[in-house]
Amino acid sequence: MTIQVYAALKDYFDTEFEITEPVHSVEELRTLLLKRNPGAEAIMPVCRFAVNDTFVDSQFQLKAHDAIHIIPPSSGG
Amino acid sequence: MDNTSHLSAVPINIAAMLEGAHHPGAGAVVLFSGETRDNSQGRSVTHLDYEAQESMANKMIAEILNEAMVKWSLKLALACHRTGRVAIGETAVVVITAAAHRREAYAANQYIIDRIKYEAPIWKHEYFADGSSEWGANAENANKGELNE
Repeated sequence: MTIQVYAALKDYFDTEFEITEPVHSVEELRTLLLKRNPGAEAIMPVCRFAVNDTFVDSQFQLKAHDAIHIIPPSSGG
Repeated sequence: MDNTSHLSAVPINIAAMLEGAHHPGAGAVVLFSGETRDNSQGRSVTHLDYEAQESMANKMIAEILNEAMVKWSLKLALACHRTGRVAIGETAVVVITAAAHRREAYAANQYIIDRIKYEAPIWKHEYFADGSSEWGANAENANKGELNE
């Protein structure tokens, strides 16, 4: 699956990358990403996840070809 | 289907937006322009750079505008947020509301800008005079409830 991150998350991850490990839910994905980069532990819990441009909760079941966007807290305006 | 883009990578033409915001049923038109300050939490700011998850931000702003249209019986509701580099004193976001009376136009305008700031996937990167930079947070987050009243 493809992961795309934004704003402060780019301090910890590439803007876009692939995950090949078997992860089944958003929660598992979050755990995997924090294992890869523990430095993101402050920001990751406050990020929202979106699949195909729709926000999903932590129990959402992911499919192998999903496009996942990880959305930090907004700071527009 | 609303195909209007609510994001702009180039400076927003406020005059043109306002020109398009008149309506025969509207006795009040309110325009809010959020502009780049030269300071943030005591630090000197040189410019901002906005990033957005554009497809979601566009869709979300359209939904916020539609909700406000219904809630306050607006005649018009427009919003545009910058992406990319925004200089000091330039407009980062514009919200225009037109209603029969000013009370509705003001209330709806504040509702729309608050929701765009806190919900739309748009982020500012602040660049400081000392050469450093950081991803911004909305300083008012702690007072969000109060601001929305």
